[in-house]
Amino acid sequence: MAFVLALLLFVVVLGVLDRALPWPSAGNGGRGR
Amino acid sequence: MITGHLGVAAAAKSPAREIPLWVLMLATLWLDVVFLPLLLLGIEEIDDLPGTDGGYGNVIIHADYTHSFIGAILLSIAFGVVAARWWGGRAGFILIGVAFSHWVLDLIVHHADLPFMPGNAGDLPRFGLGLWDVPWLAAIVELLLLIAGAWVYWRAAREVTAGREATVRMRAHLLAGLMVVFGVVVLLTDVYIG
Repeated sequence: MAFVLALLLFVVVLGVLDRALPWPSAGNGGRGR
Repeated sequence: MITGHLGVAAAAKSPAREIPLWVLMLATLWLDVVFLPLLLLGIEEIDDLPGTDGGYGNVIIHADYTHSFIGAILLSIAFGVVAARWWGGRAGFILIGVAFSHWVLDLIVHHADLPFMPGNAGDLPRFGLGLWDVPWLAAIVELLLLIAGAWVYWRAAREVTAGREATVRMRAHLLAGLMVVFGVVVLLTDVYIG
């Protein structure tokens, strides 16, 4: 159970923070947003 | 192995920057995601390695559908095809590779429990190079994969945040740091708690 929670924490928190970075989107030819 | 797979997902962000990190993580864990309901249904199983009481590396995993060589290829292709609808064909191909990397890393650590055909059809020899025979070494390999993945991610994140406001640039450092910290937490719970 602790393992699953730690894994979920990893995926959810880092997934949200990753979305806050200006990565290029699939539709803009690789240019940052 | 879980933490090592997450390291691969983090590294894959560099050549696949249009794919959200959570999608890369889902891809790298995809075989285990499908494995979980089959485990709960009793279709696939985990047994203690004979002579042990289970725990990190001391298991024989009968994931004869999700973790068979052919099954892993089919599941990886399915993931990539579905993901391509949102992130494009190039992303789909990359995600097929990320998803199948799970089987490759499992091949390194697993005891010889990975079949070739789904359901072990044909009763062919099973694969597994058995790094789990030396659990501390397997854990170090996982840690190195995590650190390498976080480093590659950090370099890519620094590139896309260069020239931005300090708060945005700081997010790149924060994320890479948290990736290592959380990854170590996942690894420790995997090794010591399960």
